[in-house]
Amino acid sequence: MTSTTDPRELTVGVGAGGLATADMVLNIGPQHPATHGVLRLRLVVDGERIITAEPIIGYMHRGAEKLFEVRDYRQITVLANRHDWLSAFSNELGVVLAVESMLGMEVPERAVWARMLLAELNRVLNHLMFLGSYPLELGAITPIFYAFREREELQTVMEEVSGGRMHYMFNRVGGLLHDLPAGWLGRVESTIEDVRGRLPDLESMLVGNEIVHARTRGVGVLSAETVAAYGVSGPIARASGLDVDLRRDTPYLAYDQVFSSGGPGRVVTRTQGDSLARLEVLLEQVHVSLDIAQHCVGVLGSLPQGPINVKLPKVVRVPEGETYYATENPLGFNGYYLVSRGDKTPWRLKLRSASFNNVSVLSETLPGNLISDMVAILGSMFFVVGDIDK
Amino acid sequence: MTTDLPMPRVGLAAEHAPKVVRVVLNWGRRYSLWVFNFGLACCAIEFISASMARHDFIRLGVIPFAPGPRQADLMVVSGTVTDKMAPAVRRLYDQMPEPKYVISFGACSNSGGPYWDSYCVTKGVDQIIPVDVYVPGCPPRPEALLQGILKLQEKIAAETLSSKGIRTKYAGRAASAAEVTRPSLAPPGRQP
Amino acid sequence: MSDDDSVRTRAERGPERRGAATDNMSDRTMDAEQPEREPERGERGGLVPGIFKGLATTARAMVTPSHTAEYPDVLPDLPPRSRGTIALLEENCTSCMLCARECPDWCIYIDSHKETLPATTEGGRERQRNVLDRFGIDFSLCMYCGICIEVCPFDALFWSPEFEYAETDIRDMLHEKDRLGEWMATVPPPPALDPGAADAAEVTALSKPVRPGRATPPAGRP
Repeated sequence: MTSTTDPRELTVGVGAGGLATADMVLNIGPQHPATHGVLRLRLVVDGERIITAEPIIGYMHRGAEKLFEVRDYRQITVLANRHDWLSAFSNELGVVLAVESMLGMEVPERAVWARMLLAELNRVLNHLMFLGSYPLELGAITPIFYAFREREELQTVMEEVSGGRMHYMFNRVGGLLHDLPAGWLGRVESTIEDVRGRLPDLESMLVGNEIVHARTRGVGVLSAETVAAYGVSGPIARASGLDVDLRRDTPYLAYDQVFSSGGPGRVVTRTQGDSLARLEVLLEQVHVSLDIAQHCVGVLGSLPQGPINVKLPKVVRVPEGETYYATENPLGFNGYYLVSRGDKTPWRLKLRSASFNNVSVLSETLPGNLISDMVAILGSMFFVVGDIDK
Repeated sequence: MTTDLPMPRVGLAAEHAPKVVRVVLNWGRRYSLWVFNFGLACCAIEFISASMARHDFIRLGVIPFAPGPRQADLMVVSGTVTDKMAPAVRRLYDQMPEPKYVISFGACSNSGGPYWDSYCVTKGVDQIIPVDVYVPGCPPRPEALLQGILKLQEKIAAETLSSKGIRTKYAGRAASAAEVTRPSLAPPGRQP
Repeated sequence: MSDDDSVRTRAERGPERRGAATDNMSDRTMDAEQPEREPERGERGGLVPGIFKGLATTARAMVTPSHTAEYPDVLPDLPPRSRGTIALLEENCTSCMLCARECPDWCIYIDSHKETLPATTEGGRERQRNVLDRFGIDFSLCMYCGICIEVCPFDALFWSPEFEYAETDIRDMLHEKDRLGEWMATVPPPPALDPGAADAAEVTALSKPVRPGRATPPAGRP
């Protein structure tokens, strides 16, 4: 392995039989310890430097969009929370919000705040997963243990209310399936306190750690222009200085109240656009989401007695028409384009998932980097393979 | 074209070992299961949960540090196996040394689960590799995986390894990864 | 990750990225090149190098008791809503097939036949009722969404937190009504609801006339 700065120059005059470096095609994945999930990368490398990178997707393609077309809206909710398995609640939320907006349905206030609370807890769960797995990919095994300790606590709370640890299936068109159990809000609050109290443990491994800095600072810099061109969203876009957050920009649920001045909501941005910035955005968003969740608990406690769902007819038929409803998922914009012909099943439900765009940009980011940095960049792109392939 | 790979065998000595020796061998096998996680989808996250400090399956002798399939005894298929992924699953399974065990973790790998009527999902990983224990759930909770592991350990404790037994595991399944690939690549309409 | 590793990659990294800086871990010259960097990025972490903060956490964790759940010996304490398995109360089932029809992956199998009951009174009409012959749920397919339980109009299906039913043969995952009935014993009572929750439909129906103006829910609510 040559470590010269420009191996091509070296071959000039030596001839083809000399020290010629040929471009090598390196296939990474689909099942590879360094790629989380089954993403395959086809790299053309010159020595250790990546010349072109092409993510080859489709290993997790499960045809969810086609399956949506033969299922009614409640059954779609079940499938929808499985494409991005780390943000199941946000996914099902998008479906029911799209359906509700087409039905012109008003959701009870309790449901709105409970959905927000659960969505934010889900966001924390998602980010904790990446905060654990990213250092693991960099080679640090310890942080994931701390991240999963907090995940277990939060999953316990989520399981108590919804019954599921990962796939909650708690949203229904018109609200939530059940009301909250007695005393649950108190347990959420104490769990949030616990998690917040123990986050410094996780942070102590990541913030200011020289090795993490050495591996991530200045690695895989994404400019705001590239981000905009590729439609990258979520924490990755915000790490590059693109100040977009659908929770604030096109508020759904009651996010306008949370993101108004004085509210706990705040959009975390960085300007550097490197892997470290992406990690930092994620870390700070955990704090913001915990704040929002705590605010929701407070609001839920003060709301008057009332229902948490709307009584629906036996068969929900969405009126003819189409809508696009995007929500800010933990990984970025998650949009559902719903076309209905007035049946109880959608005619088409197109999924705009965040990870697809976030991974597409890899072909722009990876070239010019070293293979050893590939994992650092890949891991910092925060994608879920099911979300790419649907 | 099919390459005639030799069917995996256990050695003569192991096959005709007296009961006492077999008990010792099985005891060794059941408590040092080096696991290779075939993490494909949601269930992989619960698998990671099971390997973390809260559930910690190293207590049961399942060691999640196998560097690759060639060093693993147990493969946990967690997640949806798609037709595009199926040959890779089979190839990695073929690379594992005998005796090898497979736990199918979750509805997707048991039978296709939520996606059983999809055009691109394998209807259960047991169509391409022999499965020892099926863990139900979507995704199963980590304790369910631990229970599946206990079930597998019981099975290992009771087993008598023989070349014949290994061969019957493959009954009805394609004998090599290439044969798994080919029908997946066949154009639609042709009998897969 | 090893220190050597990162140092090597730094050294090898091309000049086009960062001039000729050979920044290894102790060299912080790159900070000067990126003046827009915010100070809170934890460059030095104060007096203590950042790596020791992590080591201190590890040391602290070493002396705190472990939070491992000793599963096979200690069963987990699961909430009542936990979706472990589906139990069937056979007496309540009228074989109306709603669950089988609404199931998103159609994993419920119901067979029934009609039985004619003789008239109970003189000259009365004969009655017909459905007799459940088979009620099977294929747990290898089931996606644990709970729609069947939600749609059941006669409360014949319930969630049970039971999760220990891994099998060695996929055919054993299809559980018939006797096994589903056995799980009824493990079904916990539903949790009490939050004070802010609306009253149950039964309570509202019972107290229709006095409904306006009531603030507190009655005590005996499930």
